[in-house]
Amino acid sequence: MAGRASSHDQRLLPTMDRDAINEITHNWSGFCIVTEKLLQDKNDPFKESEFVAFVSALSKHGLSSLVQDYFLQALEETFRTNSVAKFWRHFDAYSDFVVRETNVATDDWVREALHESLEEISSEKLFQEKCLSFLLRALQAPQGSKGRQAKASDSKSTTVDLLSRYHLMVASILLTMLPRYFPEILRLYFKERLEELSLVMSEQNEDGDKLLFPDKNRTESNYKHFYSAIDEMDHESHHETVLFESKLVGKAWISKVGKVVQDLRSLGFISMTEDAYSCAIFLLLKRKVEILAGDDYRTPVLDSIKEWIQAVPLQFLSALLSYLGDSIGHEKGSSGYISPLASCPPLDFGQESPSEGLIRWKLRLEYFAYETLQDLRIDKLFEIIVDYPDSCPAIEDLKHCLENTGQHSKLVDSFISALRYRLLTAGASTNDILHQYVSTIKALRTIDPTGVFLEAVGEPIRDYLRGRKDTIKCLVTMLTDGSGGNSSGPGSTGDSLLEELIRDAGEQETSIYDDEFDSEDKQAWSTAQSWEPDPIDADPLKGSRNRRKIDILGMIVNIIGSKDQLVNEYRVMLAEKLLNKSDYEIDSEIRTLELLKIHFGESSMQRCEIMLNDLIDSKRTNANIKASLTQLSQKGIDQGDNELLLDHLDATIISSNFWPPFQAESVNIPAAMDKLLDDYAKRFHEIKTPRKLLWKKNLGTVKLELQFEDRSLQFNVAPVHAAIIMHFQEQTRWTSKNLAVAVGVPVDTLNRRISFWISKGVIVESVGSECDDHVFTLLEDVSDANRNIINSGSCEGLLAADEEGERSMASVEDQLQKEMTIYEKFIIGMLTNFGTMPLDRIHNTLKMFCGTDLHYDKSLQQLQSFLSGLISEEKLEFRDGQYMLRR
Amino acid sequence: MTVNGQSEARFSPEYHNNMPQPPAPPTASKQPQPPAKGVDSQSVSRRLQSELMSLMMCGDPGISAFPEGDNIFCWKGTITGSKDTVYEGMIYKLSLSFPTDYPFKPPKVKFETIIFHPNVDTFGNICLDILQDKWSSAYDVRTILLSIQSLLGEPNNDSPLNNQAAALWINQEEYRKVVEKQYKVVGGGN
Repeated sequence: MAGRASSHDQRLLPTMDRDAINEITHNWSGFCIVTEKLLQDKNDPFKESEFVAFVSALSKHGLSSLVQDYFLQALEETFRTNSVAKFWRHFDAYSDFVVRETNVATDDWVREALHESLEEISSEKLFQEKCLSFLLRALQAPQGSKGRQAKASDSKSTTVDLLSRYHLMVASILLTMLPRYFPEILRLYFKERLEELSLVMSEQNEDGDKLLFPDKNRTESNYKHFYSAIDEMDHESHHETVLFESKLVGKAWISKVGKVVQDLRSLGFISMTEDAYSCAIFLLLKRKVEILAGDDYRTPVLDSIKEWIQAVPLQFLSALLSYLGDSIGHEKGSSGYISPLASCPPLDFGQESPSEGLIRWKLRLEYFAYETLQDLRIDKLFEIIVDYPDSCPAIEDLKHCLENTGQHSKLVDSFISALRYRLLTAGASTNDILHQYVSTIKALRTIDPTGVFLEAVGEPIRDYLRGRKDTIKCLVTMLTDGSGGNSSGPGSTGDSLLEELIRDAGEQETSIYDDEFDSEDKQAWSTAQSWEPDPIDADPLKGSRNRRKIDILGMIVNIIGSKDQLVNEYRVMLAEKLLNKSDYEIDSEIRTLELLKIHFGESSMQRCEIMLNDLIDSKRTNANIKASLTQLSQKGIDQGDNELLLDHLDATIISSNFWPPFQAESVNIPAAMDKLLDDYAKRFHEIKTPRKLLWKKNLGTVKLELQFEDRSLQFNVAPVHAAIIMHFQEQTRWTSKNLAVAVGVPVDTLNRRISFWISKGVIVESVGSECDDHVFTLLEDVSDANRNIINSGSCEGLLAADEEGERSMASVEDQLQKEMTIYEKFIIGMLTNFGTMPLDRIHNTLKMFCGTDLHYDKSLQQLQSFLSGLISEEKLEFRDGQYMLRR
Repeated sequence: MTVNGQSEARFSPEYHNNMPQPPAPPTASKQPQPPAKGVDSQSVSRRLQSELMSLMMCGDPGISAFPEGDNIFCWKGTITGSKDTVYEGMIYKLSLSFPTDYPFKPPKVKFETIIFHPNVDTFGNICLDILQDKWSSAYDVRTILLSIQSLLGEPNNDSPLNNQAAALWINQEEYRKVVEKQYKVVGGGN
C-alpha cells in the first residue's frame, strides 16, 4: 500500500506547485494522526470537523482513493490485532475438548463463549463501521456541496464499494485464521439449541392437544415481536430462565439464537453457519427417527416423524428465518445498502414470503426422514418380515419411504444378502424358509405391486428350496393344513396357504387348465429372467395392470418346477390321511381338492378325485354289506360272546390302480378276524360280481380294549400291533422268535413294533436264554406296570417316532427310487463305456435313448438324488462334477 | 381295516409294439437279403433302440455298449477279458458304427484300445467271420460283443492278422506278458 501511495504521489508531483504539496503533506499527516486516534482510542473525543477538513482537502487534490485505502488498511490492522486474536482465544479451550471428544462439560461453556465472543467482536465491528461511516460522510461532504446531482450516484457507489471492501476484509481475516474446530463448535451450539427446543416441545405435547397447531400461532407471534426486538437486541438479557418462562419458546430465546446467526453471518461465516445448523438439524432428525422407529414394527412411525419435523426443526427454522429475514429487511430500511455478502438464498425470501424457504426446508427434511427411516427399515427388513402380519405398519411406512426416495434396489440388495446370511442356511428348517418366503411375497406385494422386486428377491429363496428334499412335503402340508380340523377357525393358520387357495378361488372366474397354466407360468418365468429395471419414475400403478398379478401359489409351484410333483406328493398325503379315517368323513378333503382343482386343473387332480370317490363308495358298500350280513346272521345262529361282530368292521374299498403304492407287509391276523374278513369279502363278491376283495391286512386301524385284572385300556393301533397283543391273550410269555413266527413278520420288525406295547407299559422285555432272543411278558398288575410306566410320559413321542416309520403309503422318494431303478442299468451302461459323465449329460442321454420306450420323464433334480443314492450304495463315485463307476 | 378291492383291470398293459420282427436267420444261403427298399433310418434307429434296451436289461457280465453322443448309429463298446484267459481283467474299448441299412449289413467294429491278438491288426481291425461274410440280420449288438469276447480266448490262428501273436499263442505265459505290456503301454482301460 505504501509503495503504491508513493508512486502515486510522484506522478502528481511535477504538476503541482510547492504550496499545494505543502498543503497535502500537512493534511495527510493530520489525517493519519486523527485516524489513528479514532481507531485506537475509543475514549478520546473524536474531532469530526477536523477529520472532515483533512479528508476534504485531500480529496480536493484527487487523493480520495488514497485516503480510502489508508483508512481501510488502518481498520484492518486494528481489527486483526485487537479483535480477531481475542475472538479466537475464546475458543482455545475448546480445542482440548475436541481432542478428548468429551462434550459433557462443554454444554454451557460453548454457548457462553460463543455469545460473549460474538458480542465482543460484533461491537468492535460495529464501532469500525461507525468509523467508516465518518470517513464516508467526510468524503461526501465536499462533493455534496459541489455538484449534488451529478455525484449522487457516484457517492453511493463509493459507499457500497467501501463497505463491501470492509466486509470482505473482515471475513477474509477471520477465515484465514479460522481454527479447525470452529465449525464443530458451531455444530455443537446448534445441536444444544435444538435439543432445548425439542425438550420444550415434548413438554408442551405432554400438556395436551391445545398445541395441535402451535406453529402458526407461534411464528406469527414471534414474527410480530421481532420488529421491536431488533432495536433492543443488545439489551436483551441472556438469562436462561427467560427461555422456559412461557410454554412457548420465548422470543428472547429465538432472538438470541437469531442474533448469533446474524452475527456469524455479518462476520462472513454464512455458509459455515448454515452448514452447522442444517447439520445439527439432520443429526437430530436422524436420532429422532431412530428413537421413534426403533425395533417396534407394530406401530406406524412416519406420521409421528412428520409431526416432529413440523414441531421442532421447522419451528426452529421458521423462527430463525423470519428473524433473519426481518432483520435484514430492517437494515435495508435503515441504512439503505445491500451487502453483497448478505445475499444468500434464504434471505431472498426475507419479508414477503417466509414460507417458501420453509417449504424448501420442509421438503429437504422430509426426504431426509424418508431416507433415514427407509435405511433403518431395510436393514431390519428380515425381522420385519419374520413377524409379518404384525409388522404391517412398518411395511406401510417403508412403502411410503420408497415411494419418495425410489431406492428400491437398495432394498433388494440388502434383503437378498440378509436372506443368504440368515435364512438360506442349513440350520433353518424348510418350514421356516417357506413361511418366510410366503411372508416375503405378501410383504413385498404391499411395497411393490408390480412384483418386479419380488422376483429378484424370491429367486435365491427358490433356488435354495429346490435343493432341499423335504420342500414338496412341507409345501403340501402348508397347502392342506387347516383342512384337517378347524379350517373355519380364523387366524389359527396364519401362514397356511389354504386361505390363499380359498382367496384365489374367489378371484378366479375361469379355471385354468393344464397347458394354460404351464405356459403362463413359463412366460412369467422368462419375463422375470429377462427383467430389466423400470425407470423408477415409471408409474407403478400403470405397470401393475399390464403385469400378471402376483400369484402366491404360482410362485410356490415355481419352486418345485412342475405341479406334477406337487400333485403327486399331495396324493400320497391324501392317501395316508384317507386310510387312517374310520368314519368316511371327507368333507374337508373334498373342499381342499376342489380348491386345488381350480388351481391345478381338473385332469391333474383326477386320481385324487377317484380316491375320494372310493371313500364315498366304500361308505355305501360297507353299509350295504353289513346290512345284508346282519340279516343273515339274525335269521340263523346266535352269535357267541367271543365271536367278533360284523358291526365292528368297516372297510375302505379302494381302486388300487389309482392310489399310490402301498407299503407291503404281511401279517397274520387272528383267525376270528380272518374269518370275518373272508365273510365280508364273499359278500362283496356276491353283491359286486365279478369284483373281488383283496384285503390289505397290514393297513388300517384297530380299536381295541385290553382288560387286565385290575384295569382296562383302550387303544387305537395298527393291525400289526393288534395282532401282536392278541397273541398274549393265550400265552403271557413269548420269545421274540416264536412271536415273530406267530405274527408272521420278521424278528426285527416285531422288535420294532412291540416297542409300542412296551412303551405303554403293557409288556415288559427281558433278555432271553439265547443272546439274540428276547422274552416278552404281559404285565397283568398295575403294581408291576408301575415300575415300567415311569417312562410313559415319553411314550407319545415314541409312538410318534414309530408311526413315522410305518406310514401306510410308500413315500414319494421310495416311489421315485423304484421308478428310477429301470434307468440304473442304462446309467451303468453309459458310464461303463464313457468313463466319466457329468449330471446333465447323463440326463440328456437318458432322455434321448430312454425317452420313447421307457418314458424317462424325471427332472434333473430327481436324477441327481437318485444318483446320490447310487453313490451311497457304493455303485458310483462322484468327483469334480463327474460321475463314474466305482471299481 | 383296509381292503384292496380288486376291480376289473381298468388298464390293460400296453405292449410296446415297436420292435421290428427280426427276419428269420438265413437258412442255407450265405448272402443276406439285399437291403429292402425304403428302409428308413427311423426303423433302423428303432431297432438299435430296442437292441440297446435288451443289452442294458440282460446285463451280461463283461460286455457293454452305448450310443455315443446323440447319434444312435455310433456306439462305444466295452469288453472285459473273460476269466481264465490271457486277457482276464483287461478292459478293451471298441467302436461300433452301424450302416443305414442295418441289420441287413453288419456294423463296422474296431478295437479302440490296441490289443495284442492274432485276429486283430495294429489298427484295431478285427477278422471275424460274423462281421463279414457270415453276417446275419439275426445277430445284434449283444451277440457281436459276446462273439468278440469269446474270440479273445479262442483266436483263429489259421488266418492271423497279427502273425507274431499267432506264433506266440502256444506259449501262454509269454503271451500274457506281451498282452500286459502292450496294455500298460497304451494305458489300456481307462
